[in-house]
Amino acid sequence: MPKYRIAELNVEMAPKHPTLLRQGEPYLYDFSGEADVVVDFSEEFYAQKLKEHPELTPDLCEYLWMGFGFYRKLVQYDGLMLHASALAYQGRAYLFSAPCGTGKSTHTSLWRKTFGEDVVILNDDKPALRQIEGVYHAFGTPFSGKTDQNVNIGVPLGGICILERSKENWIKRVQGKDVIFPLMHQTLRPPDAQNMDRLLANLDQLLRTVPIYRMGCNISEDAARLACETMQGGLE
Amino acid sequence: MKPKEGLLLRELDGTAIVVATGAAISEFSGLITLNQTGTFLWRRLEQGATEEELIAALLAEYEISEEIARKDVQAFVARAKDAGLLED
Repeated sequence: MPKYRIAELNVEMAPKHPTLLRQGEPYLYDFSGEADVVVDFSEEFYAQKLKEHPELTPDLCEYLWMGFGFYRKLVQYDGLMLHASALAYQGRAYLFSAPCGTGKSTHTSLWRKTFGEDVVILNDDKPALRQIEGVYHAFGTPFSGKTDQNVNIGVPLGGICILERSKENWIKRVQGKDVIFPLMHQTLRPPDAQNMDRLLANLDQLLRTVPIYRMGCNISEDAARLACETMQGGLE
Repeated sequence: MKPKEGLLLRELDGTAIVVATGAAISEFSGLITLNQTGTFLWRRLEQGATEEELIAALLAEYEISEEIARKDVQAFVARAKDAGLLED
């Protein structure tokens, strides 16, 4: 099976369709020994998923479920997936999470407009978060949602911002319920107790070590400046 | 009375939460947070406590009147039942 390295994990998967073949290419990596993660579904599995989701093409179906297959395993490697647009700027990763249609990608593209090419979109939709030597990093992965914006790097996580639309821009640090509800809704919840406990342990560590914000934002460059100043200022 | 099989009470960054796993997911896909009293009552529900036992436990733990304990327990149980979290 073709070999990849994603979020510092050795992965085996054999995509057949163009989207994942193309997006996976920068992640091809010839490791020796056993894979950490094997993503392998049967033809019957995909046929069933296509029946359940007639709006999907076989290409998109493979792309989505191979992504889920990979992300499900992350909790076993000190990590989790967060539905967010992730960017890297001046050595730190900043994540903007929200339900679909809120404007995550719009906000990260505002950073590019405002701060230029030093801003790199790590993964526009589903970054992998992993603790490497005790420090949370955000990683680009081949699975970046509707856009192909992702790069194969990992960057220490500087902050996570939960976005909502607002006429005026505002941002504040949040904790407790204000963090737990949105983050639990924007990650993949394992169906079994053992992996749920792993997810909660990883989330607990995330909440203890990474500043989390809530932001109301419009689509002006002021929004990017406010987010950047606040989140860079939140670093110790 | 007991929480349905598969419901887990856990602590996340100092906040008590209940999440569903296994068969419970089909009935409860959400997430609830519990305050200190809620956590206390949930732990007793995990032992299969009756409403009367919950009231007695509250009275033993907190300096409150029986009337308030009864009201609190009834409200808690009603909300948990409405959310589909309990079974007999």
